[in-house]
Amino acid sequence: MDLSFTPDEQAFREEIRAWVKANLPEDIAHKVHNALRLTRDDMQRWAKILGKKGWLGHGWSKEFGGPGWTAIQKHLFEEECALAGAPRVVPFGPVMVAPVIMAFGNKEQQERFLPGIANGEVWWSQGYSEPGAGSDLASLKCKAERQGDHFIVNGQKTWTTLGQYGEWIFCLVRTSSEGKPQTGISFLLIDMTSPGVSVRPIKLLDGECEVNEVWFDNVKVPAENLIGEENKGWTYAKYLLGHERTNIADVNRTKRELERLKRIAKTEGVWDDIRFRDQIALLEVDVVALEMLVLRVLSAEKSGKNSLDIAGLLKIRGSEIQQRYSELMMLAAGPYSLPFIEEAMEAGWQGDFPGGEVADAPLASTYFNMRKTTIYGGSNEVQRNIVAQTVLG
Amino acid sequence: MDFDFSGDQEQLRDAVRKWVDKAYSFDRRRSITAAGGFDRAAYKELAELGLTGLYVSDADGGMDMGPTEGMVVMEELGRGIVLEPLPQALIAGAVLGGYAPAELKASWLPRLTSGDALIVLAHQERALRYKLSACATTAMHSADGWCVSGTKNVVPVADQADAFIVPAMADGKLALFLLERTASGVSANGYLTQDGGRAGDLTLEAAPAHLITLDGQTAMEHAVDIGIAATCAEAVGVMDKTLLLTTDYMNTRKQFGVVIASFQALRHRVADMKMQLELGRSMSFYASLKLNAPAPERRAAMARAKVQLGQSMRFVGQQAVQLHGGIAVTDEYIASHYFKKLTQLEMTFGDTLHHLGEVSNRMQDTAGVFA
Repeated sequence: MDLSFTPDEQAFREEIRAWVKANLPEDIAHKVHNALRLTRDDMQRWAKILGKKGWLGHGWSKEFGGPGWTAIQKHLFEEECALAGAPRVVPFGPVMVAPVIMAFGNKEQQERFLPGIANGEVWWSQGYSEPGAGSDLASLKCKAERQGDHFIVNGQKTWTTLGQYGEWIFCLVRTSSEGKPQTGISFLLIDMTSPGVSVRPIKLLDGECEVNEVWFDNVKVPAENLIGEENKGWTYAKYLLGHERTNIADVNRTKRELERLKRIAKTEGVWDDIRFRDQIALLEVDVVALEMLVLRVLSAEKSGKNSLDIAGLLKIRGSEIQQRYSELMMLAAGPYSLPFIEEAMEAGWQGDFPGGEVADAPLASTYFNMRKTTIYGGSNEVQRNIVAQTVLG
Repeated sequence: MDFDFSGDQEQLRDAVRKWVDKAYSFDRRRSITAAGGFDRAAYKELAELGLTGLYVSDADGGMDMGPTEGMVVMEELGRGIVLEPLPQALIAGAVLGGYAPAELKASWLPRLTSGDALIVLAHQERALRYKLSACATTAMHSADGWCVSGTKNVVPVADQADAFIVPAMADGKLALFLLERTASGVSANGYLTQDGGRAGDLTLEAAPAHLITLDGQTAMEHAVDIGIAATCAEAVGVMDKTLLLTTDYMNTRKQFGVVIASFQALRHRVADMKMQLELGRSMSFYASLKLNAPAPERRAAMARAKVQLGQSMRFVGQQAVQLHGGIAVTDEYIASHYFKKLTQLEMTFGDTLHHLGEVSNRMQDTAGVFA
């Protein structure tokens, strides 16, 4: 039992901190620290900076050109990036599809797709959910029919995060209706510039278009874009969901946002109101407990000693806490969270925000946006089913 | 960063677990409560396992072990809802060992280790609640040292303890004393506590006292923090067993023709109990691993841990009763005793709201496990 990082890990942290400080563009950090809107260019710029250093795929093994870091090093890297105000890496390429291509793709696929993911040049999207397949993902219907050396894809995906920028999309498609729903699913990589692909952004409750509907109308996809075996896609998808389990708790970003909550509470004059301050104190305890939970999972990964049954708890708790800090930020601003002035959520806006505190502008929008966290990535109710299964059988 | 237990620590855990399983049955516990809530023989058995001397140094004849071992032991005692107050021995070992003059150590630490002496912290006062910085009990210089006057409440096993560690104001400053129960001017009564254990009120009338330290504040904070870490670990053991009792019951009990473990409303409640248990376990690790940190860091960590454990204990305890149904509100069935233990532990060494206030007062701009 030891609650400290080794000197090597400390040195590693210092190295990362110095590098991030020197390389993270200030205008991007400013936006992140103030929850201002990020553009595609902001996200791409940071991805390419990381890519150039070889750290966009920071979880990759050396074999595939990654840094080959330990679970602890990965955590330290993510923490330093988050605390410095780096945008969250758009995960679909480097964190989600790349590990699947590494584990189940063939050599040609690895050579073709991994470089563009590693350097941040190619924007990937995720094609999982459908209008009729949310928590019950295996009931998906988007169909891929084999015709010679091609698949013909027809159907619809939805909730495709940032799909409006997507150049490639990895999709779960139905290739068979025989047997259990899970056994007829394949994992297909689709060029989004192919004829027949159309994308429609969905405006969300915060006024932004963070997600999209994606339609496939007789889209011709070369068979060489199939990952692994036909009808084995569900296995690959599960592998993907199980990858980077601690990532979804997002505790590092939450620590940064707890700092922001305290700044807001001070500005808004509720820091000295015991009734409000105790709510922040409760959240602080929640955050420390979540961080300990994350560190336990990381330590178990390192030692390989225990098969911890607590990883499933991370998503539930992490998402609840994200919702809570966004809620408290909005409540701290009170009536000054109410004006909906979209321009004020852009960097450099020079107008007069009601009450004079422009930092209040995005608080309600962030609160509304965060409602997604307990729904996506397997709703928290599905997660509870999984946890209960481990406890009750 | 490492949360694995060493081989020695696992062995210690096994030894304590074996004792609990073999020697501390629910029937024995029940008879101990019926006889007043404390059993000297059981306490002596803990001593024979080396546990009362866990925090006593090698030189003083103890086990010279650290917070992780203390945590392992307390988890196992919690699993068996053991009534005999081992945290008091951990406190006495560390406080006497760390702050008392040599002759006091020499006369008490061997007896603490052997189990011949039960030494308990007597600090609770009506007007104090959880405050550690001052008290109404006073210490006066006497011809051959010190004498102490005052009243302390809810002192563990007061009427059977051999000595008390007592905070008192000496020359306007908090100091810590050791008093023997059989000394003149010392009287103690006894009563059951809600968990089936024993406590009492201690009245001191110019009772002769041995000075432990004039820096009572530092020693008291340390004492209470050892108590908090021990309580957190004990709580984890109690919750672990409580969840196990609940899930076993749910997989057996049938209603509407099926086991009640098949109902999703109940399964989700179990998932939430597991959440609270693991958050609690995480913060118990945190408390024990911060027990040797510098005082300000240690104090802040204990407050955070106790807030989490307080919430976890209340949730796990209440839900265990609810998920069992009627059987859990009977005295006969074991689960109600786990619930009562959890309830009592929340009020031990500072309750949740008290510690939330501590966290709130200590908040800095940044926060995390390492800040």
